[in-house]
Amino acid sequence: MRERVERLERIWVARPGVLGWLTTTDHKRIGLLYFWATLVFFGAGGVEALLLRTQLAQPNGDVLGPDTYDQLFTTHGLTMIFWFIIPMTTGAFGNYLIPLMIGARDMAFPRLNALSFWVFLASGIFLYVGLFLGFGPNAGWFDYVPLASRLYDPARNIEFYSLGLIFNGIASTLTAVNFIVTIFKLRAPGMSFNRIPLFCFAFLAASFGLLFALPALSADLILLFLDRNLGMHFFDPAHGGSTLLWQHLFWFFGHPEVYILIVPAFGIATEIIPALTQRKMIAFPLVAIAELLVVFIGFGVWAHHMFADGLPTTTLVFFAGATAMVVIPSTIQVFAWSSTIFTGLPRFKTPLLFIVGFILFFVIGGLTGVMFVAIPFTQQVTDTYFVVAHFHYIIFGAAVFPIFGGMYYWFPKLTGRMYFERPGQISFWIIFVGTNLLFFPMHIVGLLGMPRRVYTYPGGMGWTAYNAIESVGGFVTLAGILLLFGNLVVSYFRGAPAGPDPWHGPTLEWSVPSPPPEYNFAVVPTVSSAYPNWDEADREADRRRLAEGVGVLDDGHEQVVSTLVDGEAAEVVKMPHSSPWPVLLALCLSGMLAVLVVEKFAVAAFFAVLLALTLLGWHSTEPEAE
Amino acid sequence: MTDFAVTRREPSLGWWGMALFVAAEATLFGVLVATYFYLRFKNLEWPPQGIPEPKLGVPLVLLGVLLVTSVPMQLALRAANAHRLGAARLLLGLASIVQAGYFAMQVHEYAGDLGRFAPADHAYASIYYTLLGADHAHVALGLLLDLWLLAKLARGLTRYRLNALSAITFYWHAVNVLTIAVTLTILSPSL
Repeated sequence: MRERVERLERIWVARPGVLGWLTTTDHKRIGLLYFWATLVFFGAGGVEALLLRTQLAQPNGDVLGPDTYDQLFTTHGLTMIFWFIIPMTTGAFGNYLIPLMIGARDMAFPRLNALSFWVFLASGIFLYVGLFLGFGPNAGWFDYVPLASRLYDPARNIEFYSLGLIFNGIASTLTAVNFIVTIFKLRAPGMSFNRIPLFCFAFLAASFGLLFALPALSADLILLFLDRNLGMHFFDPAHGGSTLLWQHLFWFFGHPEVYILIVPAFGIATEIIPALTQRKMIAFPLVAIAELLVVFIGFGVWAHHMFADGLPTTTLVFFAGATAMVVIPSTIQVFAWSSTIFTGLPRFKTPLLFIVGFILFFVIGGLTGVMFVAIPFTQQVTDTYFVVAHFHYIIFGAAVFPIFGGMYYWFPKLTGRMYFERPGQISFWIIFVGTNLLFFPMHIVGLLGMPRRVYTYPGGMGWTAYNAIESVGGFVTLAGILLLFGNLVVSYFRGAPAGPDPWHGPTLEWSVPSPPPEYNFAVVPTVSSAYPNWDEADREADRRRLAEGVGVLDDGHEQVVSTLVDGEAAEVVKMPHSSPWPVLLALCLSGMLAVLVVEKFAVAAFFAVLLALTLLGWHSTEPEAE
Repeated sequence: MTDFAVTRREPSLGWWGMALFVAAEATLFGVLVATYFYLRFKNLEWPPQGIPEPKLGVPLVLLGVLLVTSVPMQLALRAANAHRLGAARLLLGLASIVQAGYFAMQVHEYAGDLGRFAPADHAYASIYYTLLGADHAHVALGLLLDLWLLAKLARGLTRYRLNALSAITFYWHAVNVLTIAVTLTILSPSL
């Protein structure tokens, strides 16, 4: 048995040093790369947010000028959505955890996975190079024309927006394809569709959302690029174009996007709740369907962002009705989470505290969301701070709190050490209080008429005190987040050893050592329920099979491919392992898109040729032949 | 492999990857076609004055030619599945030649259109050239895939290359369906 494990270690060993990281295709390493890169962007987005709040802390502030303010609030929104939440959930959590949860040794397309990381990283660097050169995107994250047209925004700011997001979209699309195929085809034998962990259902929903929503954004961005750089007229009413076309395409992407942000948070909640209440999720099938349904309905509600545009009343009523429907799957989940907690044996450790906070924020943000179904109300509060309050409750309170909870929950799995519980709980309470101080008064100033996106405001409007409280709340939140990361850093060096399964967790990642070995599973696990780590007999059988050498798959980088629905073993394939091509391809793609900013089309074509050559190199070896 | 009995042959991972890629591309085309009709219904005159209506003859014939290539592609896959490498190469080569002819004719037509009206003339021209250009780019990508696969098959058939053939065949079927949608959209003012 010992020698079988050593043999696996020899086969799966990673290259040492920096080269090992540059050429890695290991989903865990890629997940970590995503984690660190995303944290840097989170820091940048956070600094921007605090600069904005410092500017707005008092009337007639002069910390930032209007142009800088525009670039910072736009970049803040873009960063938090595209360079923090999505890559943190899908890139970091999803990459690291999904293969472990479904009993696989890697993602379905390991090199594609590496490519998506490098493209993502390049896109973020690209955006911030633009910002530091003074060309940060400056027309708001949804970038409405005609403000974003060349006539009103003649510098290169919008090119950094459109090309940066096309870049980012490529990375997300690759990740989405990879997750779907991985969850469909690489599940451990016995993991039929109804036994897929709810976490994976959530990521499946997010991946399908990305796959079908991003093309609308990409198309919109390409049309904008063509309008601005080749003189086309898609968004120019004087020549047969339409400004509303931009909005329709943007929100056809943008609203599913909102659910893509939140659904992985649902997935994290459905992992933490069973583990910390030692109870299976109530209404498992309904929750799985609800996760998928939220994203599905999300494709039919986009025009509720356009209620103040003067669309026909029939259109508005249709979209209001569709929006109200989202309440159904959302409520199913809220009741499933809370009733599981009430009827289980909850241990209110830090991860569960963050999930309780998440449920509260989701309900509050959801209630203000339902208010937007009332068309006259929305027309009244459009473009005020009420909207800002609503979506920060959802995007920070509901989408980011489970990320924090998940960091604590899986920290022992990634590092083999426990975090410190008391400082963890204190960090939760500080962030919780800070978040409410920061965002709750925004509801009130919004109803008092304070518009969003203004770089300053006069005194005597009745907004001053609320804005001061909000800014204090921002710094309180910062303190809590610093305590959170401080705790994790200290725990990494000083934490108590955690062992493989400190929570008695329900899914397969807790059945392997912490941190997991490169090959994840010494023996391919077999599964007979959606909570396989609680099936003692199955895990005992795995250990027996390892001792007998059955199902070890140690003839190269081997992986079982299973059937789509029943999850029966269909074939054994060899997976690619560590490759220089993904990072090279990402470099070519970066070169190509970067020179488009300065309209050097010939140089872009040169990079396209390089890209094709790189692809030839990529496909010059066949996994079976290695 | 004795540890896991092979239960059933299902599409390969590569095929799944291609299918999802095609799903994303089809959505992109759906969005562009929707853009075409959105702009069309915002305009009273479509195409606007000064821009000729699209001619039906050549594009419809070319569409028919391209659609026919789905047959040798599928037959090539069938031959490769039966380990008849020579037949697979021949059929793939045949399909590629016809596809290349189609592409050359389309580039010629496109250049001719550019001589008559420019993308910057009107929103009609903008979406006309963008939609057609996107479709032709997908044909060009398919041709590159064909060439690469032919070069690979010159050195024998492996499981990897068989998976590639099935994925590329699927790609061409998808491009052909997309081309139907694009051609009919572009020709719609004259239909």
